[in-house]
Amino acid sequence: METFMGYRRPRGLPGVRNLVAVIPSVFCANTVARQISDRVAGTVSFCHPVGCSQVGLDLELTARALKGLGRHPNFYGVVVVGLGCERFRARELAESIAEAGKPVELVIIQEEGDTLKAVDKGARLAAKLVEEAARQPREEFPLSQLCLGLKCGGTDATSGLAANPSLGWVADRIVEAGGAAIFTEVTELLGAEHILARRAVNPQVAGAIMATIADMETRLQAATASCGIQNRSALISPGNEDGGVTTVVEKALGGIHKAGRSPIRGVLAYGEEVKGPGLYLLDCAGHDGEAVTGLVASGCQIVAFTTGRGTPTGFSGVPVVKITGNSATFQRMQFNIDFNAGGVIEGLSIAGAGSELLRLIKRVASGEPARAELLQHNELFCVTRV
Amino acid sequence: MPRALKINPRDNVAVVLNDVQSGEEVVVNGEEETIRLTAREEIAFGHKIALIPLEADQPVIKYGEEIGRARVAIPAGNWIHLHNLYCQRGRGD
Repeated sequence: METFMGYRRPRGLPGVRNLVAVIPSVFCANTVARQISDRVAGTVSFCHPVGCSQVGLDLELTARALKGLGRHPNFYGVVVVGLGCERFRARELAESIAEAGKPVELVIIQEEGDTLKAVDKGARLAAKLVEEAARQPREEFPLSQLCLGLKCGGTDATSGLAANPSLGWVADRIVEAGGAAIFTEVTELLGAEHILARRAVNPQVAGAIMATIADMETRLQAATASCGIQNRSALISPGNEDGGVTTVVEKALGGIHKAGRSPIRGVLAYGEEVKGPGLYLLDCAGHDGEAVTGLVASGCQIVAFTTGRGTPTGFSGVPVVKITGNSATFQRMQFNIDFNAGGVIEGLSIAGAGSELLRLIKRVASGEPARAELLQHNELFCVTRV
Repeated sequence: MPRALKINPRDNVAVVLNDVQSGEEVVVNGEEETIRLTAREEIAFGHKIALIPLEADQPVIKYGEEIGRARVAIPAGNWIHLHNLYCQRGRGD
């Protein structure tokens, strides 16, 4: 049986990291959250521009993203930092995390008195959680306890040929083992909705896939109504065309290769926790940060990210494994890229590259740092907005 | 010799893995078979080559699915791109 070494959690999937997260419920608490994290090793903070002066779905998306982040299995526990008068209440965030059975502490700046008092209290609480986390050993878990996020960015001609098919092979093995995988980037799926709907486990899921993609297209049309690049033609960039991609269907098909060939079990709303084993589609646009944040909020312990042109980005506390199908990019950006699937272009089989990639993902799940972790890249945390 | 990849057995186009000159023979690797084909035009890395003669409006198949239709008749060995492949889906209008 294929296994990895992770950290047991009171509820849900195991973690592949064991950090303490410091999460502000509102941007007014960003500096306090960052200073708490700066003072205590083993912590990461997540500053953001939202949490107040928001209403309706926009507020809901922020709440779901931050709750999903706080409940994420890679964090042993969380220090929530609030200001006190914000729209998205720190207490609501802390209660959601506590429901996952995890240790959570709350610091509210207006109740503590000032920044120095809040940072001091938060740092002492964070240090206590880090000490507790350090006593926890890694344990062996089957591959069925892994939820892998699937993402691509900086695509070139090799992505659809080598990197995405290799990742698709890995996603299929994880799903076969009883694990989960999530793909997203709904803006990139326009044109392939009928193909994805055929892969749905039932007519309800097929309908949800069609509706999710149609809704994204409507939003895209509204957003581009007054600019020169009209709606769907914006989806193929000049670089895509130079690289040999001719139609939106072709581009979409190259992208969905990374989701393998498994049936699609459901569509997840932004910030919704993965519902169980199998392959899921997450409703989010293609922005790298918003999409990876969504994958993390749904519970992906690792994100596998294919890139042809190369990108260095990462997410604090969640390994983002970079895979390229372009050997020249791998050579040029060697300290940003974890895996070269370029052998496929030279004649290596997809299964050959895929099995090597799966071994790497198991090692990363067991503690080996991804390149983005080593270099402390953390720019992918980005909450989506209406 | 330049190479090309036929991604799915159903495909009627392949992706060239090297820059190809007009008149050059291309080795096309597929899941089921390897064939040889003469390129009738210059084709850049990552671009598509027709594996069989296509009639106007015939579906162009890549990844095992229709990615669009031929605008005009396309002989085997020709380059396929924006000038001779169209797709109703995703047009800018």
